[in-house]
Amino acid sequence: MKRRALWSTALIAPLALYGCGSAAEPGSSGGGGEGALVVWDWKSGDATAESYIEAAKADFAERHPDVEVEFVAQPFDQYYNLLGTAIQSGEGPDVMLFNGGGQLRDRADALLPLEDLLAEDMDRLAGWEAFSADGHVYAAPVTLQGHPVYYNKALYEQAGLDPEAPPATWDAFLDNCDAIAEATGADCFAMGNKEGYGIQFFLSGLGSGTLTPQEYDDWIAGDRDWNAPGVKRIFELWVETEQAGLNNDGVNSTAMFNDEFALFDAGEAAHVIGLMSDVGHWKEFGEFIGAENVGVMPAPVASPGAAPSLPYDGGIGYGVAEWTDDPELAADLVRSLTSTAALEAFYADAGAIAADTTIDASGAGPAAAAIVAQIPTGKPALHVALSAETLELMGRLSQQLLSGSVTVDDALAQLAESDQAG
Amino acid sequence: MPSEAPPFGSPPASVRADAARPAEETAHAARIRGARGRRRGSGQRLPRAERLAPYVLVAPAVLIIAGLRLYPLALGVNFSFTGDGDRNGQAVGWDNYATLFADPLFVESMRNVGLLVLLLPVAVAIPGILATFVYLRVPGHRVYRSVYFFPAVLSPVIIGAIFNLLLAFDGPANALLGAAGLGPVDWLGDPGVAIYAVVAVHIWATFGMALVVFLAGFATLDTSLIDAARVDGASLPLVIRHVIVPGLSRTIQFVVVTTMIGMLTSMFGLLYVMTGGGPEGSTYLPEYYIWFQQGQMSRPALASAASTVLFGVMLAVGLLQLAILRRSGRED
Repeated sequence: MKRRALWSTALIAPLALYGCGSAAEPGSSGGGGEGALVVWDWKSGDATAESYIEAAKADFAERHPDVEVEFVAQPFDQYYNLLGTAIQSGEGPDVMLFNGGGQLRDRADALLPLEDLLAEDMDRLAGWEAFSADGHVYAAPVTLQGHPVYYNKALYEQAGLDPEAPPATWDAFLDNCDAIAEATGADCFAMGNKEGYGIQFFLSGLGSGTLTPQEYDDWIAGDRDWNAPGVKRIFELWVETEQAGLNNDGVNSTAMFNDEFALFDAGEAAHVIGLMSDVGHWKEFGEFIGAENVGVMPAPVASPGAAPSLPYDGGIGYGVAEWTDDPELAADLVRSLTSTAALEAFYADAGAIAADTTIDASGAGPAAAAIVAQIPTGKPALHVALSAETLELMGRLSQQLLSGSVTVDDALAQLAESDQAG
Repeated sequence: MPSEAPPFGSPPASVRADAARPAEETAHAARIRGARGRRRGSGQRLPRAERLAPYVLVAPAVLIIAGLRLYPLALGVNFSFTGDGDRNGQAVGWDNYATLFADPLFVESMRNVGLLVLLLPVAVAIPGILATFVYLRVPGHRVYRSVYFFPAVLSPVIIGAIFNLLLAFDGPANALLGAAGLGPVDWLGDPGVAIYAVVAVHIWATFGMALVVFLAGFATLDTSLIDAARVDGASLPLVIRHVIVPGLSRTIQFVVVTTMIGMLTSMFGLLYVMTGGGPEGSTYLPEYYIWFQQGQMSRPALASAASTVLFGVMLAVGLLQLAILRRSGRED
């Protein structure tokens, strides 16, 4: 009996000390140590990124010939899990790749502010907002990511519409969809919302057509009124497009990557809200329906007073861990990874819209040229400004909106609550 | 302390306190054995090395369990009482647990655990019935025996990918329904259907193993009983009800326990590939929720709290099943 009590005490003692522990030990350090830097990403293993990595390495080796750089390519679907574990333990890579927006802001504590170290690149590169939090810059943009509305010019032609004159208003857009459905049988939108991404692209891709510029800027600045008429309108459009049969069947069980894009590739849908870089973008669509048939249109205006603009942010970018031994050395590597020569290689091989505004994009076809032309007047995408929690909730609510188990007003109230809490 | 230890060679405490016997009788027996042990212990003192030997021998196992199981478990529970993000490392009391039970996603995941328990009889009956047919040598039983086992060797990711195609809105399953004049079903997109679709696929993927266990159980059945029942003119349902099921009670219990554990702990791969927890959060299970909070929402402390709750549920289910097994063991 006495012994059992002793054992129980030994087992329970750690529990009694609850709350005294912390996952991240202060002062511990990781990374490559002296004369070596470790980079984590999910890109360096791709064949299309090879020339980019080579160019960046060469640039860095010129300035620091005796420093070894090791690129560790992680699988993307596990990337943030692995990174989270590294951050919890306070040990990990010196330099790491991030998606812009929530994924970076949630982990800003683990990153070094870079605005002083990268001051010279501020004008040359675009897309810094997605890598900034609380007035500090935590990563340098490599690509730009955005959500243009793509359309299939061949389907427009078959329906007797002018492929070079995309509709400017929502009503004209709906008329075109009717004409295309009648002539070709194609759906208006390719839409996949299995993971809840469909609503994010819909909100950002078409939002500048319903929000007034004032509502838009307030939203980005963090002053979000979920009951503003423009905001409510975009969620009503989300429901209306489904109810009017404009989407492909089974939106909630269609994966955006890549079933949704496959529908557009196959010419079974006339429009898709895609990406600018990496996948689901002009280069990929061009390989299937022909580069000359990929059109890019501004968001159709659905509310008076809206001024359409291209929604884009910094797509992916490299940040420096706060535990690195030599911040300046790591920042220099980030500078090499965002040098003009490296980004030119990335743009050419991977089909990404690079963050470097000095690169000439005219050779990549009409769609890429149309996107690049809109970058100077573009604005940050609406959904990128939201927290990961709110995005997750929006994904779930968007599925409920489609199945009719929640009303637009209810959904907006829940989203407003989540947004304010976060 | 060592003087209180039972002498070398006496049975371990767990055997002495035989829980299968009624409490009074057990206590009585323990008293007798204890007295006997003491008498022997005081009469002939064993050499020191021999007295220490049992501790040395069990030390590796105890150290491994304590160091690699209990200590991390305690750390995890401890961690669930700290905060995430800005409050990393600070004690937050029961905040994480309050957040958990206020989160509709977590509540949904616990409700789905309840649903799995309700579906357990189906998951056990399917391999049981099919094994019966194989045992009774229906035509083609040799083929069926290997065909049934086949899915058990596929990984959940592959199975998920296959059924993603089959159950797609424009996929073969709905084409079949259409050919039969029925409307399409959004198998993985309808919140009322998706969880059943995933559970059905899980049962399809794993029943082969249970079937093999059942067939092994059949091998121990006394065939003369079945022959006798047949001679007496019993129909097939009666033979199953009164001869086969009673004869297989231990096997059925074993399959119930392993199927339950399988359903609660190894559906992550299927969920990840087939639904991602959706639609509308209707297919969340606790382990998926834990992964989601830890990796996607970077809230490891909240995930620890969810893990602790899941551990508690598993412990309760495990103890319950142990109790049932013990009770039936006594009946034998």
